[in-house]
Amino acid sequence: MPSTAPSIDSSKPEIDPSQVVDVGVLKELAKRYLVDALNSVNGPKTLVLDPSLAGPLGLVTEVALLKQHGVDKMFWLEPGPLQATTTNIIYLCRPQVQWAKLIAEHVKQHTKESQNHVYTLLVVPRESSVVKRILEDEGVLGDIHISEYNLQFIPLEDDLISLEYDHAFKEIWLDGDETAVYNSAQALLTLQKIYGLFPRIIGKGDHAAKLKNLLKRLQSQSPRQAPGSHTLSEKIDSLFIIDRRVDMVTPLLTQLTYQGLVDELMGMTSGHVELPASLLAAPTAQQTPSASAAASTSAAGRTALTKEKKKKHHLTAANDTLFRDLRDLNFSVVGANLSRHAHRLDSEYQSRHQAKTVPQLKEFVGKLGGLQTETQSLKLHTGLCEIVDPQTKTEVFNKSLEIQQNLLALYDVNAQISAIEDLVAQGVDVAVVLRLLCLASIVAPGIKPKVFENLSREILQTYGYHYLPLLLNLSTLHLLTTQPLSPAAQSLKLPLSALKKSLRLLTEENETDNDISYVYSGYAPLSVRLVQCVAQKGALLAAPAPVGEEAGAVPKAKAPKTRSHPIVGWKGFEDVVASFPGEVFDVVQAPDGGATDSSANAVSVLLPREDTTTTVVFFLGGCTYTEVAALRWMASQMRGRRFLIATTGIIKGSSLIEDLATSL
Amino acid sequence: LALEEAVGMDDPAAKAASIKAAQKFFSEDKGSAFEAKMMDENLRLLAFQQELEKDVDHKVKFVGLSVSETIKLCLVNGLSKKAERVKKDWAVPDKRFWYIKLQALTQLGDFEGLSQF
Repeated sequence: MPSTAPSIDSSKPEIDPSQVVDVGVLKELAKRYLVDALNSVNGPKTLVLDPSLAGPLGLVTEVALLKQHGVDKMFWLEPGPLQATTTNIIYLCRPQVQWAKLIAEHVKQHTKESQNHVYTLLVVPRESSVVKRILEDEGVLGDIHISEYNLQFIPLEDDLISLEYDHAFKEIWLDGDETAVYNSAQALLTLQKIYGLFPRIIGKGDHAAKLKNLLKRLQSQSPRQAPGSHTLSEKIDSLFIIDRRVDMVTPLLTQLTYQGLVDELMGMTSGHVELPASLLAAPTAQQTPSASAAASTSAAGRTALTKEKKKKHHLTAANDTLFRDLRDLNFSVVGANLSRHAHRLDSEYQSRHQAKTVPQLKEFVGKLGGLQTETQSLKLHTGLCEIVDPQTKTEVFNKSLEIQQNLLALYDVNAQISAIEDLVAQGVDVAVVLRLLCLASIVAPGIKPKVFENLSREILQTYGYHYLPLLLNLSTLHLLTTQPLSPAAQSLKLPLSALKKSLRLLTEENETDNDISYVYSGYAPLSVRLVQCVAQKGALLAAPAPVGEEAGAVPKAKAPKTRSHPIVGWKGFEDVVASFPGEVFDVVQAPDGGATDSSANAVSVLLPREDTTTTVVFFLGGCTYTEVAALRWMASQMRGRRFLIATTGIIKGSSLIEDLATSL
Repeated sequence: LALEEAVGMDDPAAKAASIKAAQKFFSEDKGSAFEAKMMDENLRLLAFQQELEKDVDHKVKFVGLSVSETIKLCLVNGLSKKAERVKKDWAVPDKRFWYIKLQALTQLGDFEGLSQF
């Protein structure tokens, strides 16, 4: 339980660990579920894995643990025959049509060869009727025991948890499939079970509102078990839900923070990045077997499965303090920062020359281990920068940045569109082109039909006609629209120029040091600004923002004396927030009625506290590393509030587009 | 729209059939005249590519490439007349054509050709 001594030191934003929401619990939970699921099948077994689950699972468990629980061999779930030596075969996969078909094929093939196997299918995170149907159609349903492995939030960092659904955005908005919303609600419910009820739920966006309603409904349905599950959380002060549709601009931009850029240019999955083996081999060669070597090899549940020369490296701040410093910085300053670290390390190494006495020497040797790991991580990050840096200097990269900035400033949109056309002519990567085009379409809003047709034609001729479905998908989502806007598109129109003023989305160059807009070199992500509306009003009100004080009858507000104010909803920003599409909501959750002492509980929670509280920010449909960086920055500006960022998955512009391109 | 997904097929005949189906689908809908036109272009391209492959005795694979890629491959393989024809028939703007030509010449290491620009 929190708070024995409210820390009074004002200089450091040190946070009392007892007040921090510990996400390790979630990992343990995921691990336990997996073990339970595995143990439900007796004897040695062969595990067949959906490749898209490898990353998430790697964060939760190790190969050794699987072996302990009887897993004999592991395979990817892929086309072709499956050779299994054990009787038991366990499939672990997402409920997707392709996997179900593959499994059916395996089963049929085995029956033909009269091999006897016992099949178990673990569907992640829930059983789905689609999978059942397919298996039934294929006539193998009777042979397979279907069960589920409830994999929910996976901690990527101590303040970042993800469901790792790669396709959430597409499913929800393009396919109209709301499974992801349901699963999110389930996962949030689990959070509530662990940490207590979210005292308040605030959000923006139609699907965010759906999620909230679902959450409430599930909550009232869930049987009342432990009394703890229905009291208000003491560590979490509110849940903020935002759906991706509300802010499409942000993910379309190129991320400019270190971690964001690494994701953009090299791709990160489940916190892992693939690096040339040489970069990682160097540190392993030096005889420091522990930290980084272990981190790089323990990744994911792959045994002899990987063929690539590239190695996966788990980039996390947990064991890499240097990365903690670097990840959220704008890339332009990372180089300088690295060299500073290099100098510091160097001088620490030099200090051994000053060590004269035995105790001094001893002290130095004691530090040596730490220094070595630091040197390694420095080497790693310098290497990474060397890879990333040239890519940020290419003409195409800078051109697209320039177009982005101009579009945001609404500066001569037509010229930007013809600049995009030039990029097409040069055969630049299609994802880059489409990102820019979508952005142009959103800010303009709409592109002139003639121009649009021309551009589509150019794109199809350059990249192939098979991109037509993608273009159509983007149009259905109104990410690409033509003028005049259709009524549906009209309703989704973002009043960007008004928002730019009221929420200060664009800032001057010199201001960026003390504002979240530094992450995009001058543009503040709309999504994060919204969070700021609720959690850090001061920062926004300092600017010429509409002041609508005294507007809403906000039910609860008692100012603790910490500098971060309590969550009081949208107060002061109702007009702005209502001015663009997406439902706005703000609900105060009372502890469930029934328990007699619940009201007393509620009061105690509402009382002013000196403690640090955590605000959970949930991105439905994914968030970018840069948004994460912006939120972290915000937290660093406030005393008494942390953010726990939860998301359906980490996305970036190109993955968003590619996702929409893949059919089925 | 589901017909679109069939485009990924390897066999040219099956591919042509599914594109045709898609084309028909689009042409039935007035709102998607553009899509229908594009599918039409796609069919023509496919036919042309098959013809090209025949011309070079199936040494080079054309089927499945985009218009730009086709032009480039033509240029690389010294079929500049064919490339010009693609440019004309598919109304490829000059700007893009020159970019493609530039890339093709660089790939060939044809510096004489390059300096002729």
